[in-house]
Amino acid sequence: MNNRKETFDPVYLSANYFKVLNEVKTLIWKEITLEWRQRYALNGMLLYVVSTVFVCYLSFNLQRNLLTPIVWNTLFWIILLFTAVNAIAKSFAQERYGRLLYYYTLSSPQAIIISKIIYNCLLMLALSITGFGFYVLVMGNPVGSLSMYLTSIILGSVGFASTLTLVAAIASKAENNGALMAILSFPLIIPMLLMVIKLAKNALDNLDMSANQDEILVLLAIDAIVVALSLVLFPYLWRS
Amino acid sequence: MKKNWWKILTVVLLIYVLVMGLVGRVPRQPILNETVRNLYFHVTMWFGMVIFLFTSLVYAIKYLRSSNITDDDKSAEFAKTGILFGLIGYVTGALWGSATWGDPLPKDPKIISAAIAMLAYFAYLVLRGAFEDEQKRARISSTYNIFAFVIFNVLIWILPRLTDSLHPGNGGNPGFKIYDSDNVMKPVFYPAIAGWTLLGVWITTLRVRMKNLDRKVSEY
Amino acid sequence: MIPLKRIVATVVLFLTASINLLAQQAASQEIEMADRLREDGKIWVVVGVIVLIFVGIVLYLVRLDSKISKLEKKIH
Repeated sequence: MNNRKETFDPVYLSANYFKVLNEVKTLIWKEITLEWRQRYALNGMLLYVVSTVFVCYLSFNLQRNLLTPIVWNTLFWIILLFTAVNAIAKSFAQERYGRLLYYYTLSSPQAIIISKIIYNCLLMLALSITGFGFYVLVMGNPVGSLSMYLTSIILGSVGFASTLTLVAAIASKAENNGALMAILSFPLIIPMLLMVIKLAKNALDNLDMSANQDEILVLLAIDAIVVALSLVLFPYLWRS
Repeated sequence: MKKNWWKILTVVLLIYVLVMGLVGRVPRQPILNETVRNLYFHVTMWFGMVIFLFTSLVYAIKYLRSSNITDDDKSAEFAKTGILFGLIGYVTGALWGSATWGDPLPKDPKIISAAIAMLAYFAYLVLRGAFEDEQKRARISSTYNIFAFVIFNVLIWILPRLTDSLHPGNGGNPGFKIYDSDNVMKPVFYPAIAGWTLLGVWITTLRVRMKNLDRKVSEY
Repeated sequence: MIPLKRIVATVVLFLTASINLLAQQAASQEIEMADRLREDGKIWVVVGVIVLIFVGIVLYLVRLDSKISKLEKKIH
């Protein structure tokens, strides 16, 4: 399929920018149609978020006053973290068998990883926005600045998705990937998680934009680093 | 006995460090008192850990470029030595911290980042255990190694923005430079870093050679 | 011209002595260190023990090293 030069050379990548872009478009479309055709996976993830939130709601129902804004915020991000790990873990699991392998022999690894990252970002955005809606519904809403909080959710889900996509690719190569996915991803997700929790806390306290600029820039920088790293490393994983 | 001079150097350096570290003159500091000597022992463990993890990264990259399995052996063994030094640093830090800060594990970015690095590299070892095939294990764990090291650096970079530090040199604390204003610690500190690191390298090379032997024996 | 030399010498002597004295005084007043242990020379006992332990570990490493070298030669 892809010879060495083709896959690893950045010059090749920039020269074939449009080719890769086209491949990415096709692959994302393929992911979305596939997901839509077997909706049970998507529904399962949505149900996972909703039921986790509901469990938290019931648990805190015993003593409502313990649910301070800090706890509210942390709980929400932990729910999102577990949702992300579970949702993204399966993004490479289903590819091993089946006719889909054929698609992949035709496209470059860069196109595959970019399409996976973008697709997982979309998936995470859908899951986290839904989750947030339901969370606010049952757990109350102490958020000071809703737009800022939504920004943190968007940045958080994009960051989670891009970090976890490569980890999912790594974990899928090992057979027992359920537990492995969790232990591989938690240490790597912590920087992102800490940053995003801080940003979300600022949003709770309704701090103004200037206070948040630093966090937003750092989150974007981490995203950029992670995506660049995925682009460089994924071809090596893909060869095996 | 090809090139063993650096092993002799290791021993000489470390004996010098042990002797001078205990009897040499150190600055008189409040709170720290005599414990300032831990600079030669505890702090050098962290230096060693970072150096070994970095070396592990270098060999991981080398492996991905060459597909030479000995590079992967070296990468894994350096990571293990890094973990060893990290754990020793953690335990000694807890002891030192409980004597001077009154808390073995305060909320401190350096401690948190070290703990997370340990977690990531333990995960790396678990990942290595999940494969039967040597080349596959090497390729996939090298990828994770690179990813983990980069994220570790990101963490070191962002954590000081989130919490204050008790360690010298950040969070408004003066660096060790101020403590060591008359430069009496440097002549021991630098050899200490070199000595402990070389000791770790020695242990690592022994383990790498054992692995090589093991591979050769199983090939027969 | 003897006095000048002598004066310089005494001044230097006096200065060094007083600085030493001052330093010691200031230091001992400020921060407590294990000065006694050092004066006794008992610190050398500790140094000796630690160095011996270290030498033991090094000897172990050296033996391990030579054993591995032998094995390497055997296999080649």
